Amino acid sequence: MPAERKQVLDEVAARWNGRVQLSPEDGSESAYRLECEPAELSEVCNWLFSDLHYSFGGLVVEQLTRWELRYVFYGGPGAGWLHVLTHLAPSDYRVPSVSRLVHAADWHEREVEDLFGLVFEGHPRLGDFVLHDDAWHEGVAPMRKSFDGRQPVTHRAPDQNWKPRQIVEEAGAFLMPIGPIYATATGPVHFQLETVGEDVIRVQPRLFYAYRGLEKIAEGRRAEDVLLIAERISATSAFAHSLAVCQAVERICHMEVPPRARALRIFVAEFERLRHHVAAIEGICESTGLAVAAAQASILEEDLLRLSCVLTGHRYLFGLGTFGGLTINLDDSACNRAAAQVREVAEKLSRLERMLSISSSFLDRLEEVGHVSAGEAGDFGLVGPIARASGVSRDMRKAQPYSGYDQIEFEVPHESEGDGYARLRMFFREAAQSVRIISTVGQAVPGGQVRAPEVSFRPGAALGWVEAPRGAALHWIRLGEDGVVDRYRIITPSFANWHGFRLAAENFAFQDFPIILATFALSVHENDR
Amino acid sequence: MTSMGLLLVIIVALCGAGVVLPLAIEERRTPAIVGWFGACAAGVLLCFSGASLFAGAPFHATLWTIPSLATLTLSLDRLSALFLFISGLVLLPGSIFAAGNLHRYMGRYSLRAFSVLYFALYATLVLIPLSADAVSFLMLWESMSILIYLLVNYEDEMEEHLRAGYLMLAVGEAGTLLIALAFIVLANNGSLEFVAMEAGGGALGEYARWAVFLLAFFGFGVKAGLIPVNFWLPQAYAAAPDAFVPVLAGATLNLGLYGIVRVNGDLLPVAAIGPGLVALIVGSVTALLGILYATTQSDLKTMLAHSSIENAGIITAALGAGFIFVALAHPSLAAIAFAAAFYHMVNHSIYKALLFFATGAVDSNTGTRNIDRLGGLIKAMPLTALFFLVGALSIAALPPFNGFVSEWLTLQAMLQSAGLASTGVKIVFALCGAILALTAALAVTCFVKAFAMSFLGMPRSDSAAQARSARASATIPMAFLAVLCFILGVTPTYVIPVLDGAIAPIAEQARAADALVPPFFAGNVHHGELPASFVADFHALGAQVGQSVMPGRGLIVMHRGGAANPVVFAMSTTYMAVVLALMLLATYVVFRLIVARSRAVERRAVWDGGIRRLLPEMTYTGTGFSNPVRVIFEAVFRPTTVEDTRETVGKHFRAAIRRTHGENHVLDRLVLNPIADAALWVSNGFARMHHGFLNAYVLYGLIALIVALLIARFSS
Amino acid sequence: MSQWVIKGLRTGVKSTRYPRAEETAAGISPGLPTAATLPLEVAQSLVARCPADALELAPAGVDVNLRRCIHCFRCVRGTNSPLGWEHSYEWATAVSGGNDQKRQFGPAFDRSVHILVVDTGDCGACLNEVRQLNNPYYNMHRLGFFLTPTPRHADVLLVVGALTDHMRVPLRKAYDAMPSPKRVVAVGACALSGGIFGRSFMCAGGVAELLPVDVEVPGDPPPPLAILHGLLVAVGRKPPARLHRAVSDSVGNASG
Repeated sequence: MPAERKQVLDEVAARWNGRVQLSPEDGSESAYRLECEPAELSEVCNWLFSDLHYSFGGLVVEQLTRWELRYVFYGGPGAGWLHVLTHLAPSDYRVPSVSRLVHAADWHEREVEDLFGLVFEGHPRLGDFVLHDDAWHEGVAPMRKSFDGRQPVTHRAPDQNWKPRQIVEEAGAFLMPIGPIYATATGPVHFQLETVGEDVIRVQPRLFYAYRGLEKIAEGRRAEDVLLIAERISATSAFAHSLAVCQAVERICHMEVPPRARALRIFVAEFERLRHHVAAIEGICESTGLAVAAAQASILEEDLLRLSCVLTGHRYLFGLGTFGGLTINLDDSACNRAAAQVREVAEKLSRLERMLSISSSFLDRLEEVGHVSAGEAGDFGLVGPIARASGVSRDMRKAQPYSGYDQIEFEVPHESEGDGYARLRMFFREAAQSVRIISTVGQAVPGGQVRAPEVSFRPGAALGWVEAPRGAALHWIRLGEDGVVDRYRIITPSFANWHGFRLAAENFAFQDFPIILATFALSVHENDR
Repeated sequence: MTSMGLLLVIIVALCGAGVVLPLAIEERRTPAIVGWFGACAAGVLLCFSGASLFAGAPFHATLWTIPSLATLTLSLDRLSALFLFISGLVLLPGSIFAAGNLHRYMGRYSLRAFSVLYFALYATLVLIPLSADAVSFLMLWESMSILIYLLVNYEDEMEEHLRAGYLMLAVGEAGTLLIALAFIVLANNGSLEFVAMEAGGGALGEYARWAVFLLAFFGFGVKAGLIPVNFWLPQAYAAAPDAFVPVLAGATLNLGLYGIVRVNGDLLPVAAIGPGLVALIVGSVTALLGILYATTQSDLKTMLAHSSIENAGIITAALGAGFIFVALAHPSLAAIAFAAAFYHMVNHSIYKALLFFATGAVDSNTGTRNIDRLGGLIKAMPLTALFFLVGALSIAALPPFNGFVSEWLTLQAMLQSAGLASTGVKIVFALCGAILALTAALAVTCFVKAFAMSFLGMPRSDSAAQARSARASATIPMAFLAVLCFILGVTPTYVIPVLDGAIAPIAEQARAADALVPPFFAGNVHHGELPASFVADFHALGAQVGQSVMPGRGLIVMHRGGAANPVVFAMSTTYMAVVLALMLLATYVVFRLIVARSRAVERRAVWDGGIRRLLPEMTYTGTGFSNPVRVIFEAVFRPTTVEDTRETVGKHFRAAIRRTHGENHVLDRLVLNPIADAALWVSNGFARMHHGFLNAYVLYGLIALIVALLIARFSS
Repeated sequence: MSQWVIKGLRTGVKSTRYPRAEETAAGISPGLPTAATLPLEVAQSLVARCPADALELAPAGVDVNLRRCIHCFRCVRGTNSPLGWEHSYEWATAVSGGNDQKRQFGPAFDRSVHILVVDTGDCGACLNEVRQLNNPYYNMHRLGFFLTPTPRHADVLLVVGALTDHMRVPLRKAYDAMPSPKRVVAVGACALSGGIFGRSFMCAGGVAELLPVDVEVPGDPPPPLAILHGLLVAVGRKPPARLHRAVSDSVGNASG
């Protein structure tokens, strides 16, 4: 056991002696569970989050014989996972909120309140989140086992009395509504901007227009089919999510993934990250109206999409991941050709970066715009390149290595300014680094099988995680008999970063808003699920 | 008694009846008295002043002599007649509007008191331009100040009204004092009659002339709303009852300008460019500050008050330009500038009264004047919206309405300064012209906001949503004035000659009509008298169109220059109106043709981005609309943050963001507050002297005696 | 700024020649399974492998209902008897019944069609492929297609996604706000049939549940050229394809 983890466990035992039950998580070598009474929950979570600087991964709620609430935390390299657990009687729906102290848990608790009907006492902002109060049936909690997710619901006419919450009290303040249909080809999201003209004083995104109930419809389906759902959480990080599901199932079923498959998974995952970052760069260029740069980046994006298709048969890498490996073998020559093409893209990308870095009118729109401080990024639990642009350098590939990332030499880049330009630089630096990893891995893909022999499903539950292009993605799967999924919890990086988006967008002028939005590279689909 | 005298007696008698009758009859009939007697008196006033203005009918009456002071006389020349005529144009619809509007005060305030004060003021307004000696003028002026104070304080239970009233009274008295001093300096030969003053003015030295100009300019400037003595105006206008404020803006403001013109143009005409420059600069800055504060106001009435300051500024700037041209011996340019000033004054009285009527109608139907709480009124109050729009277009100086003609003339007159010799003067003109152009642009912003945010979109409050249409006593006066706005806008060639007559007392040799409406149109001038090039240009412009339809004059205002440059500028709002109407008609016809050919017009709900319900809270507020102006001119507004708090639950849950900005008017900041501070400092000093030691008081007495003796010794 | 102009010029012309000529670059389409004549046993096992019910048992083999295919590749990978696979992209079909006179475009729409894209809950793939139509490779402007953010200017409503409960009102409002004549193009398996999300408490299972659809573009996601084909079909500049590939009409055509 690494020293860091042992130290934390000793500290838990000493500090919370008797009040917190410490035990290793089933089937996992790096996870420990801390069981406590609901009353202690807030204090334990706050201690992990604020004192030990563990990151809050997410909240997993399960309706077993009793309610189980699992607050997932993870530390830096070697520190492993800590699952803070608390249980409620089946008829008990009230639990103290932790989000006043651990603000990163805010949206998780709101989501659970909406979908499970559990009330987080002390949470100041419950209701109207996943299920819109003016459209959904009051009191219906779809994630409960008693709710049949296969049946369509009767549609409710919009509530004419519902009003959004306004908190800005200033003469002449008004609410500027944007969306859900608001620009050319964007995901559906509705922004409520409170303003008195010119400056945006408060931003409230109203999300979940694309809520497809994926966690619910996964229940009762076979694990392979859930893999297809995972791919379609967000197409721009399809492979990352499918990889997280694969790892969770492999952990439950004690499957060994062949070395070749592990290497190819890194190869494809980094390829996907590169493509995502190129698209994000394109979005930023387009938001500032720099048409030529946007066109250049979009050429690269299309090149990479075509390369995906040539390499794996699908432009968005659908149908590639499977339990125990990959569905097809990417032969060495194809990998080498792909790596060579990727290096070509990287070269064009670095030329683009050089040109952008001397386009002053472009930089004016990004520098010192949409600033997020390291402290805020930490408190809101931001992840991925957005957090790293603010100096929070946690990366799943280093913090909790998977799929053999610990055997590769690479650095996690990070910036400290936390403004729009820092985020743009993050995308460029991470893209360049992905290319390096692709080259390294592509040169020496181990031989052998690309897929483990047939899966033998076992009941159980496990967490799978990846550093998706947008940041940490956590998938919790509980399998029943015969590989039927009993509970599927999806925690996505966009969910975390949408939560913190307002930090950047507030107190800037209207015309900066789309640019700040572009620098966050958020996905509505990944958030809404 | 002459027929003119009879008319004046009828006016005064009607006013007297308006003062006395309400005391004798039921209170609920008072509005009828205000309406009928006020309108009748205004009708007679229009005849009385019109007879002089259009036909030059003379009027002169000697009342009685106050021994050792002056003989009180009333006299009417065309200048006085112009101001009286404007007052009549405002008081006629104003009285009808007041009659309808007064009903809302029934039971809360004494309607009798209103009637008494209203008619007393009515009479003073009529008599002030007639008075031809300093004593009667000052007595009337002082009664006007007090009556206005009482009327502004009509709704006396509100503290801000009382404060506004006191401030107004204080500044007004200071103004009267300055005016009295000006008359004292003018009356250097002992006579307080205007005729004598005019005759003796030539004997005054340069310093005395400057003193008279400055005393009169700033003394009358109080009522006219010029910086730096206008800080009372927005508050007082906002406090004044809706039934009275149109009179305030449409008549009493003009009397301030009348005073300036009468003293500085007629009694002691400015002879040097200095005073003209002062008037030009003060006027331009007044205009800019007025429109800046108007644009950022969210209270309709206060906004209109600030806009009155702006208009007074434009008029004063034009007057200043006229003074400069007179001093530099450019009589025809001076006449254009004066004509522009008077034209603008007529226009301002009319459209401002119209806008105040509309605001009053909105206020009495919705209970609020706050633009941020209005919206969507066009559905409930279509006529009010239409007339407000006419007023807004006029005040924003858009053709074919009247504001365009006078602002265009003002700017054209200022552009003619390019021909002056002095570079310094040219630079001042250029800067002031630029300021006025900026003012005109901001005025468009201001009134786009006022109209769009109040009448279009969605109602932003329940009271706005439940508005009903305005009553006829409001719409008829508005309609009357709206029609006037249009007529004055399309017939400048008929208006300018009339104004020309009014200019006569202040610029004898100047004839604006000669320059602007060439006698060519009259038909009785031989073409041979005009340069051939001029006639050619003229034909090229097609100016003869309409000559047969509207015999006597053409429809083009054009500045006639010399032989080298026969036509300096030309413009025809008449043709503009015709062309605009034809274009609208053509658009409509084409649209109908296309639509009729394809399919019926489909009407769909407002596109709101697909949200489930568009709420009134989601529409732009007036404050939001004008926020860019506030940001750009932050140096002027210099807002102070009174409150900027974030109420949070935990560390990051926000419960409320409260922001309040204080705004210290730039004049308060730069003028009023330093004066107040200084006065406080001085009085504190005096307070320190009162410490109760007997010896010290003896010492004070001794020092005073010595000082007095010294003064007596050296002054003799 | 001049360096960007030069950069743009030096990049040269990238645009495809489609629809005047066929596009042959690699990686432009994930392709679709083809119907095949197969022994019953094999056919049954293949049909069972399909998670989206896109394969149908036919008397002589397997029929493919392209409207349902989600490119999971299970009928070609990990099986000993894979179906055939074609790398075409002209997949769009016109829905019969969408021939209402008020919905037909006249000649005025030949070279100028404005498109409102509404995402009613997809995974971002179809949306991203629609966005690619604006990149220099596909450059839909050259064909007179323009994206617009408001339904007021839109002639074509292009819908991607499975129609979530929350997007019903916005979609309906967008459609109602569009002027006539207007056509609806449903893009992607989700918009056609609900795709992998199917019909559930949140998903209605296809746009046709709410709006009359004129053109259907299958695929998960359909590649940019397929969407472009859909738009060309919508304005009548390209003939539609058929979405039900049956064994009977592909005999001799389908490779095993």
